[in-house]
Amino acid sequence: MAASLQRTLGPFNINRFLSPPKQACLRYINGPTVDLSHSIHAPSLSDPPPSPQHDRRSRLPSDFLSSLRARHPGLDVSINPYDLDSHGRGESHHPTAAPDAVIRPTRVEEVRDILTACCRERRVEGEDLPIVEIVSVIPYGSGTSLEGHLQFLQRAEDEGSPGADEGEIKDIPTSCFTVRDDEANAYKKVRIKRKGGISVDMCNFQFIGEVGDDAFVRVGAGVTRNALNEALRHTGMQFMVDPGADATIGGMSACAASGTAAVKYGTMRDNVLAMTAVLPPTTILSANDEATASNNATSKVVNLGCNALKSSAGYNLPALLTGSEGTLGVLTEITVKLHPLPAYVLAASCAFDDLHCAAEAVANIRMMGVPVSRIELLDEMSIQAFNQSLIMEGCGDGGEDDAGALRLKPMELKPTLFIEFASHSEISAHEDLSAAKNICVADFGGKNFVSAADESTRHSLWAARHRLYYSAIALRADGGDSDSPTAQSTIVTDVCVPLSHFADIITDTANNVRESGVVGPCFGHAGDGNFHCILPLKKNDTKEYRDRVTAIIENMINRAISVGGTCTGEHGIGYGKKKYLAKMYGEGGVLMMEALKKSIDPWNIMNPGKIVDNDSYGGHDIVTEN
Amino acid sequence: MKILVPIKRVIDYAIKIRVDPTKGAQGVQLSNVKMSMNPFCEIAIEEAIRLKEKTTAEVVAVSIGPKQCTETLRTALAMGADRGIHIETKADVRGDYIDMQPWGIATLLKGVVEREGGVDLVLLGKQSIDSDCGQTGTLLAGLLNAPQATFASKVDRGDDGSFTVERETDSGTEVIKLKPSAMPAIITCDLRLNTPRYPTMPNIMKAKKKPVQTISLEDMVKELGLNLDEVLTPKNEVIEVYEPPPRKEGEMVGDVMELLAKLKEKGLVA
Repeated sequence: MAASLQRTLGPFNINRFLSPPKQACLRYINGPTVDLSHSIHAPSLSDPPPSPQHDRRSRLPSDFLSSLRARHPGLDVSINPYDLDSHGRGESHHPTAAPDAVIRPTRVEEVRDILTACCRERRVEGEDLPIVEIVSVIPYGSGTSLEGHLQFLQRAEDEGSPGADEGEIKDIPTSCFTVRDDEANAYKKVRIKRKGGISVDMCNFQFIGEVGDDAFVRVGAGVTRNALNEALRHTGMQFMVDPGADATIGGMSACAASGTAAVKYGTMRDNVLAMTAVLPPTTILSANDEATASNNATSKVVNLGCNALKSSAGYNLPALLTGSEGTLGVLTEITVKLHPLPAYVLAASCAFDDLHCAAEAVANIRMMGVPVSRIELLDEMSIQAFNQSLIMEGCGDGGEDDAGALRLKPMELKPTLFIEFASHSEISAHEDLSAAKNICVADFGGKNFVSAADESTRHSLWAARHRLYYSAIALRADGGDSDSPTAQSTIVTDVCVPLSHFADIITDTANNVRESGVVGPCFGHAGDGNFHCILPLKKNDTKEYRDRVTAIIENMINRAISVGGTCTGEHGIGYGKKKYLAKMYGEGGVLMMEALKKSIDPWNIMNPGKIVDNDSYGGHDIVTEN
Repeated sequence: MKILVPIKRVIDYAIKIRVDPTKGAQGVQLSNVKMSMNPFCEIAIEEAIRLKEKTTAEVVAVSIGPKQCTETLRTALAMGADRGIHIETKADVRGDYIDMQPWGIATLLKGVVEREGGVDLVLLGKQSIDSDCGQTGTLLAGLLNAPQATFASKVDRGDDGSFTVERETDSGTEVIKLKPSAMPAIITCDLRLNTPRYPTMPNIMKAKKKPVQTISLEDMVKELGLNLDEVLTPKNEVIEVYEPPPRKEGEMVGDVMELLAKLKEKGLVA
C-alpha cells in the first residue's frame, strides 16, 4: 500500500503521512452553563484573573491576548461568557463548544498577527523544557453552519487527565523554529501544549467594491449576502447563491454553500473567482524572536485566483479553499460572480399522487433541457407541516403572511413540486413553463398545475416551501411547551445523488420515515438530486426514538454513497460526517486530503478536528521519546 | 395622470456616518462615500410606478443637486419613471449636510409644478435621511395651497381624481380623502407604503435613453422669476454635528442587592 502510494505521490517522505493515528479520541465538551448565582467579576479586556468562582477557566496562554492588544491597541477582544457561547455553535443540533475568547479584527494585518501568535515557543521559569503553545482558531461569519463547523473540539488529553497540563514531549526539527538557537543539533526537545481556542469573528470586514460593467464584485468576508444584494439593488445584478440563511460571503465560501438557486446558477464553487486568505503559520515563532517587523510574521497573507471567468493558471487554489470549512486559513476578502436580475419570472406548483413520480418528473425536466431557475420537491409530510402551521397561526382557510396580506390556504396533502422559471423574455419563460407543465401532467400524472406571474401570488404559491424549516420543527410542537423542539434540537441532514437515482433514494427515505413512525419531512433541491430530511427532536425523546432517527440518517447516507452520490450535498462534513469520507473516497482519497491539511496547516491550528484529522506534530517525522 | 416625484441624493442608508473635523462644526464626511437615492424617495418613485401600471400616467422625476444627481435620476428612470428634470447646483452650494433647505427646495418645486402644468399628484418621501427635516412636502402644499396627506401607508386613486390615503400615526391608522382640486394632491410616503423594486438590466439600459433635462439652478431661478438669495439662504443654521459618545462599558454587579444599591447611588431609584 505504501509502495503504491509512493509511486503515485512521488519521492517525498511518505512515512509521515502513514504514521499510525494517535489514540486521541476526539470528543467535545458541552458548553458550561453560566450560573448566575455566582458572583461574576467584571471581565477586563486583558487576560482574565483566575477566579476560583469563575465557571470557565481560560485555556489561552497567559500573555496571548495582552500581547495581541499591545501590538494592536483597540483590538476588539471579548471574553464575555454569552459571547463565547454564541461563538461556539451554529444553527444545528451539535452541542455548543465555546472558545476562550472572541476577537473581531478590522484589518488583514490583525488576522495575520493573530494566527502568528497561535504557534509560539515559550521559555518559562522553572520549566525544564521550552514549551510550544498551539492555540486553535475558527473563523466566524453569521453562525449559520449546520454540521458543527463552529464547535471547538477538544481532545481527551487536553482536559483533566494527568499530562493535560504537561503537554507532550517531542523532539522537533530545529528547522520548524523561526530562530535556530543551536546550530549543532538538528532536533530540539520541547513540550507541546494545546492551549484553548479563539473565534475570529469577521463582522468588521464589510468592504463592498464597485461593480462597474463587470459581472463580479469584491467583498469583505463579513458581508452578508442580503446586505450585498441590497447594496447592488440598482446595478441590475445580484449575487445568486441562496442557502436560505443570511450567511456571510466568507462563511458561504468556506462551506461551499448552495441552495435553491444552484440548479441555474451553481453553488459557491461556481461563483467564487478570487480571494484573499491568511494562512496559518507553518513554523513556530521562537521565544527569542520578537517578530516586530511584518516580514517576520509566520502567518502569510495570500491572494488567490483572478477576475477572469476562466483560468488555467496553476493549481486552482480558490477552489481548494472553497469548502475547506475553515481548516486551511482565514478568508478576508472574496470576489464573487454576479448575475443579471431576470426580467421575467413565473412560479408554478404541481401536486402528484406519488413521490416517486414527482421526482421522476424533475429528472425528466432536467434531461429534456427545460430551463428552470428553481425546482423544489416537498413530500407529503412537508405539506402536512405547512397545513398545520396555518392552523397553529389561527388561520383555518386563509391567513395573513407577514409579506403583506397573502391569503394562504392549506394545500392538498400530496407530494408537490415548486418550480420557478426566469428569463429575459416573457415568451420564453412561458414556453419553459408549458414544457415543464406538459412533462408533469401528461407524462407523470401531475395534478393541479398552477402558475403565476405577479410577485405576491408567486410568493403565496411558494409559501409552503418558504416556511418549511420552521413548520417542520413545529410538527412536533405541543402547544408551545418548553419541551418542544427548536432549531437547536433538530437534525437537518442532506445527501445528493445522481439524477437517475434521485426518485428511488428520496422515496426510500420517505418510506423509511413513515415506517419508523418518526417525524421527518423530506424535501429537496430536486433539480440537483439533492434532498434533506428534517428530524426534530425533543428533550424527553426516548433513546429508542433517537435510535430510529439515527437509523434513518444512516440508511439515507449509505444508500446515497452506494449509488455514487455524496454524504452531504451542501451542508459540509464538519465533524459528524468525517466517518463517511473513507466510504466515499477510499483510504487514498482521505490520505490525500490529510496530506493537503498537513502541508498547509501542519500545527493543526485551523478548526482542528473538522473534515480530516491532523495528529502529526508539524507534519514532520518526529522522534518520539521512549 | 401626471405624477411629479422629487428625489434627493443622500449618503447611502447602509453607510456609517462619520463626522469630518476638517469641515468645522458642521461637517459630515462626504468624500469617497457611497451616495444613493433617499430610501423614502425610492418608495415614492415605486408608488408612482405602481399607479402608472394601474392607470395611464406620466411619471416625472426631479432632483436638485450637483451633477451626480443625474445618476440618481437614471435609477428613477430604470425603476420606470418616464423622464427626469435635473436642476443642477454648483458643487459648493451643498455646504453643510443639510445642503439646500426645505424652504428653498419647496419654492423651486412650486415653480416646477407650475412650469410643467397639468400635474395631478406630487409624491415625495416623508423625510430625507440626512437632514430628517420632513418639511419639503408640507411646505410645498402650503405654497401651492394644495391638499396634502403625509406618512402615507396606502394610496388609492378614485375615478373622480380624488386620492384616498391611509396615514400612519402614533395612535393608529387614519384614512383621509383628498378631494379633486385644481392643485395637485401632495402625498408624502412612509416606510410601509411599498417595497421598491430592483430594476432589471433591460430597464437600466432603456433608462439611458430616456430624456433628462438639465438646467442650472441660476437659470431655473431666472426662468421661474424667483430670487436666488431667497432660494439659497438657509432659514436654519447648523450649530454643531457630533458623533454620539462611545458606549460606556457596563458595570457588572454580583446580585440583586448590589444592583439596587447602585441604582439608588445613581439616583435612579428612590
